[in-house]
Amino acid sequence: MKRAFAFALLALAMGAGAAQAAGPGIGIGPYGGYNIALIQQDTGNGAVYGVRAPINLIPLITVEPFYATSNLGDVTEKFGGLSYTRTGYDMKAFGTSAILGSVMGGGLKFYPYAGIGSYKMTRTGSSDIKETGYKFGLGIGVPAGPKMSLQLRGGLDMIKTGDTSRKFANATIGINYTLMSGK
Amino acid sequence: MKNLRWIVPALLLAVATPGCILVSGQFLIDFSLDNFAASTQTLVTSQDVDLTTESDYQDHKSELKGLSDVAVLGKITNGGVTDIGVEVWMTAGPTTYTTPSQVTSGGTKLWGPFNLAAGATKQVGWDESAKLFSSAGKALLINEIKGDGQFTIYAIANATTYQFNVDNGVLALVIDFGK
Repeated sequence: MKRAFAFALLALAMGAGAAQAAGPGIGIGPYGGYNIALIQQDTGNGAVYGVRAPINLIPLITVEPFYATSNLGDVTEKFGGLSYTRTGYDMKAFGTSAILGSVMGGGLKFYPYAGIGSYKMTRTGSSDIKETGYKFGLGIGVPAGPKMSLQLRGGLDMIKTGDTSRKFANATIGINYTLMSGK
Repeated sequence: MKNLRWIVPALLLAVATPGCILVSGQFLIDFSLDNFAASTQTLVTSQDVDLTTESDYQDHKSELKGLSDVAVLGKITNGGVTDIGVEVWMTAGPTTYTTPSQVTSGGTKLWGPFNLAAGATKQVGWDESAKLFSSAGKALLINEIKGDGQFTIYAIANATTYQFNVDNGVLALVIDFGK
């Protein structure tokens, strides 16, 4: 809980810092895609949805608070000739990413990003996983109007669980609507 | 400004370095149990489990970090005339208990009760089974998985008299591994 609160404070602090800066660019946009569970034989793949709010602080850096939710698929296996199904995890996460460059403005944009967040995974019969997670990947921004752009991203989310981790490769598509251009 | 270009690779390095958690995962290992009948009319039913006979376990034994998920699976038939709650108990080392009272006094409850009405047959669900593990039993199981992988399990019921059969029994373990 304390960790979740710390992440919320971090996101708010970054947002506040951006608002104080002269002419910050601010956007918002929903996104959706698919999570692929990597090297995890007890949970399946599933859709991921969320919302992101990029805040362009300085020309080279954009901070981007995010919220994401994902319903991971069930796993069905045969043991002793009988079929069994294990319910997949539900995952929720929020945190902040840092983007090298800006996702707002005109022109085609390629950018790397990395982030940190609070991840919670739950399912029946398993202890909840509430841990810090990291995300990184690459994105492409395609202009789709004066204030709108299409955001395509491919990346990896990694939730640290003690000495091991749970990892998800993901591909998402979203839009970014520029609320404040920063010009 | 040029230094900012190193933020992403530096964060990647920071994430990857501690314990190399990037090279880790969760493997499912299933250990088949013999079909058996348990009854208060006979000696208590037990089975020695030796995980070292499982190739997945052997392949990753040195990289084991913990137990992510566990389930006792199979089809159970209550052949008695009273409702029962089937339980699985375990001992860390090889034991040869013969009565339920010896099992409950010398062993650790691992799983159960799986409630079954008189005369009923039910396949244990994976989700349902995962909820029935005791924390003490799970801790002991993790200890054994990280140890020699050998232990003894007993199947009894929480009734004065009972008679049940277990068919196609499996111990399904999801193990955390990391380099």
